[in-house]
Amino acid sequence: MIKLENVSKSFLNGKPAIAAVSFQVNAGETLILLGTSGSGKTTTLRMINRLLLPDSGHIYVNGDSVETQRLESLRRNIGYVLQYHGLFPHYTVGENIGVVPGLLNWDKARIASRVASLMEKLHLPVSEYLHAYPQQLSGGQQQRVGLARALAADPPVLLMDEPFGALDPVTRASVRKEFRALDEIQQKTIIMVTHDVQEAFELGTRICLMDKGKVQQTGTPAELLFSPANDFVRSFFDEHRFVLELKALTIANIRPWLTQVNGEDNFTVWDAIAAGMPRNTLLDAVDQYRQSKYMHGTS
Amino acid sequence: MEPANSFIDFLRQESGKILEQTLQHIGLTFISLLIAVVIGVPLGIAISRKPKMAGAVLGFAGILQTIPSIALLGFMIPLLGIGPAPAIVALFLYALLPIVRNTYTGITQVDPAVIEAATGIGMSPRQLLLRVQLPLAMPVLLAGIRTATVINVGVATLAAYIAAGGLGEFIFGGIALNNTNMILAGAIPAALLAILFDFGLSRIRFRKVLLLPLLLLVLSSFYLLPDFYGSKLLAGFTPEFMGRNDGDIGLKKIYGLKIRTVVISDMIMYKAAYDKKVDVISGSSTDGRVRAYDLQVLQDDKHIFPPYYAAPIVRQDVLDKYPELAPALNKLSGTINDSIMTALNYRVDILKQSPAVVAKEFLDAHHLLQSPKSGTKGTIRIGAKIFGDGYILANMYKLLVEGYTDLHVETKTGLGGTKICFEALTNAQIDLYPEYTGTGLLVILQAPPSTLDSLGGQADKVYTYVADAFQQRYHIKWLAPVGFNNTYALMMRRQQASALQIKTISDLTKYLQWN
Repeated sequence: MIKLENVSKSFLNGKPAIAAVSFQVNAGETLILLGTSGSGKTTTLRMINRLLLPDSGHIYVNGDSVETQRLESLRRNIGYVLQYHGLFPHYTVGENIGVVPGLLNWDKARIASRVASLMEKLHLPVSEYLHAYPQQLSGGQQQRVGLARALAADPPVLLMDEPFGALDPVTRASVRKEFRALDEIQQKTIIMVTHDVQEAFELGTRICLMDKGKVQQTGTPAELLFSPANDFVRSFFDEHRFVLELKALTIANIRPWLTQVNGEDNFTVWDAIAAGMPRNTLLDAVDQYRQSKYMHGTS
Repeated sequence: MEPANSFIDFLRQESGKILEQTLQHIGLTFISLLIAVVIGVPLGIAISRKPKMAGAVLGFAGILQTIPSIALLGFMIPLLGIGPAPAIVALFLYALLPIVRNTYTGITQVDPAVIEAATGIGMSPRQLLLRVQLPLAMPVLLAGIRTATVINVGVATLAAYIAAGGLGEFIFGGIALNNTNMILAGAIPAALLAILFDFGLSRIRFRKVLLLPLLLLVLSSFYLLPDFYGSKLLAGFTPEFMGRNDGDIGLKKIYGLKIRTVVISDMIMYKAAYDKKVDVISGSSTDGRVRAYDLQVLQDDKHIFPPYYAAPIVRQDVLDKYPELAPALNKLSGTINDSIMTALNYRVDILKQSPAVVAKEFLDAHHLLQSPKSGTKGTIRIGAKIFGDGYILANMYKLLVEGYTDLHVETKTGLGGTKICFEALTNAQIDLYPEYTGTGLLVILQAPPSTLDSLGGQADKVYTYVADAFQQRYHIKWLAPVGFNNTYALMMRRQQASALQIKTISDLTKYLQWN
């Protein structure tokens, strides 16, 4: 569990980078920090593993304030994935993945088997890539190694700063899909920074939308879409609203307007359509859900 | 001995000395390099963390680099005396900039994303430095060490000037003695060392980098190998004197002198004797510093130093073209004896008066000075070696030629040594320069021992022999001698010489045998 309380930070020139940011991420949840460039989302992320120190406010990871924990052990228990992967060019793929277990003094055999199992899960054949150097890999492969490095010591918390941001759209979609399917991440508490709205809706349990250093709204994708806290939140999603709604709503949300269709509650409408469920029936139900929300919102 | 000795013969004869000098050279290079690495790498790391300091530190090291090497050695002498210490410090200062700068550049050019990743996954600053920054900076850092090594191999040749040994002893001795084999015996090993070390260091990869300090230590220790056979007194001889029959070789052969010897530049030799860094030096008898530093010239009681009478030597074709030149130059003949020359040198070297002024005042006092004529008929180029005598004589000749003929004069003073001066003359880059009869006999003509015996060290016989031989071989004319005899002489501090009751070279030999 991660909790931020009234965290503020100013740049060297005195301009506030973030002001009074508060949110809570429960164990096993994925929180997306969403916003445009300069909204303060990366600054917020970097304070959680103390790459930056807040001017005021408090940050707790697993119940303890980050200020009281030993810096290195705090960071070794938090997986960290960067946009430009930051792999060590003088280490092989295997050495890169094994670096945190090494810092934690795991024995060699344990590191080797952990590295091998992670590489298998991330579709990096051991025989081909264990001794390769990062510069010999494609961008997507490099990013997967970066992810494996963050997961290697099985940390309970994962911080991800635009992890798919440097990839081309096709690679990006496939790496993202692999990431979602990975059993390693299912139990983890994840905070991910992105400016990609689609990505936020696909991966986030909840989204924290930021602008100009302030939290505009924190909530589930459906809450942000259908119960926006202010005009900024409302207009932020306008461009892709239709697709986002399909991705945000689950069968459970629109169940009252579905008579014939059966489907699992946690399926999104988007996935349901992709799976071949009757499209028009689903879209009608979404329409009715929307109307009920707006009537509810104005009343 | 004929000068036709091949280079291979020379190498064979001098193999022991070449090995010793090469080991000294390697030692000098790597002791200073080792210190530069030990200090420069941490310094480079420190300034990579404090960018505000970087400009100042790199700027200062850059300034050190621009000081001419011989000047830097000169600065070291008042602080550290002569010998290995100042040479190592000077070499260390030269090696510092490439090492500090490349360490700094190597560390600061590491991808910020990599640094952020390393910090973010929980590396301590120390782990970050040792596991990420240094390994990634290593290729650049090693390139800096390579640069420093090659610089040091080159600059270490100059260590011979301040009695620190190395291959410079052969190089400068060879230049002074007009001995190409000797120059090559120093220059080729030095060049090979530079190529070898550059190549060797280029093979090192960062995973093997731990071997580097060990390698440096081993190579450094070579400097300690050369023997130090003890004697109470220490002699400082010039590279030229070391290789001459009428120098160190003659002292050993005729007198049986056994003294611990270091090679030293004549520019600092007198001061070094005065400062008690050395006890016996191979001075020249008319040098102004003999008087300034109160040195006692030891009598050459077995007559190994031949006469060194100064006279202008001129290419015959120049004399044929300008017949009025010889009479003008000859006006100086017979006017300057040993003590006058010493006094003139004293004014230039010690009182720091300009050679031009000293020359002018001397000619004026002897009623030889005339105001310059038109200077339209042609140009005469007068050369001179880098010693005091040469500067003053060249200036006198300039005034005489311009006063008594219509020729214009250019002076090219400060030519490095006999070889450089004489080659400039034979290649028509200069038209005349003052030379000594003894130098002509032994260095340029390289007269065989039988000839030397027949001449018997008599001034007029030597002059006649040299003048004839030069005319025949080189078409160069010796004009009338100026008058003074600037011969080699061993000299000691007057106080020490009288305390030890040493007046002659034989006295010195005896003193060293009995003590």
